[in-house]
Amino acid sequence: MPAAPGRPHPRPAIVGSGLVKSVTHRSAAAAEPVSGHPPVDQESRAWLQELRSSGAGRDAAVERLHALLLRAARFEVARRRPTLPHLRGNELHDIAFEAADDALMSVLAHLDDFRGASRFTTWAYKFALLEAAVKLRKRAWQGREVPLEPETWSLFSSAALEPGAEAEQSELLTAVQHGIAEALTTHQQRVLVALALNGVPIDVLADRLGTSRGALYKTLHDARRKLRAHLAAEGFDIETWLQEAR
Amino acid sequence: MQRPDLKQALGRLLGPAGDEVGCDECFEQLDRYVELEVAGADADAALPGLRAHLDGCPACREEHDSLRALVSGEQAL
Repeated sequence: MPAAPGRPHPRPAIVGSGLVKSVTHRSAAAAEPVSGHPPVDQESRAWLQELRSSGAGRDAAVERLHALLLRAARFEVARRRPTLPHLRGNELHDIAFEAADDALMSVLAHLDDFRGASRFTTWAYKFALLEAAVKLRKRAWQGREVPLEPETWSLFSSAALEPGAEAEQSELLTAVQHGIAEALTTHQQRVLVALALNGVPIDVLADRLGTSRGALYKTLHDARRKLRAHLAAEGFDIETWLQEAR
Repeated sequence: MQRPDLKQALGRLLGPAGDEVGCDECFEQLDRYVELEVAGADADAALPGLRAHLDGCPACREEHDSLRALVSGEQAL
């Protein structure tokens, strides 16, 4: 599916980078069933037919679609509300409405991408949930500095130096720090540290760095692969270590 | 003795071990994946690489969890 207008992570060129590509893109034939899937269900067909019509019928369908998307956006807002105590009710209301508006534009722009792999409503919901989630993440980080440096290294360092900490654990943590410093590019270091250590949401970092979620995740993926390779070259069986830590 | 918080931190740093899809492919397939899950079907066999991505990408995981909760709630009505 091509990138939706205003969508926070337009499709990047990630094939061949170690991220697998499991979807074959098709031409925009209308609601052609995907092979191996059930045919497009009757309700979904009715949605498509009405949204592709004209006049009052289409207007009514668009209105119903907006109501559906608003319900999904409000659902997302309600799920996240406990983590956003600083936001007032009217702000959350506005965010849900904006998310529904943006999702409506995306859904209408991508009707031809709906292949019937799910019900139309499930397909449409994900646009509203994405829009609401991204807006809420950005709102939560509005005005906050995005930490790109490894300010949480101290956690690792103190943990490594804890009395009783096993030598192997300390060696592993040292190897991780060396791997980040030596095996990764500066950009990969900053992205890995911000996303994986400092907990910066990927949409927020993408916004600050002027890139997309997809492109940023590719950077993260490549950094992780390099770090894993570095640790393997240093003789660490990281999967076994992680499993033993459970 | 290994510490759970260190394991979690290293898990976040190193990400999933297996092949995974990217964020865009995840978004593209998420509706089908969730419907298969809710129906009790083997979503991971049908859409390989998506679960690994959800394990490695907190944002996509959150959106998956929300869609699954929304769809599950609808079907429970």
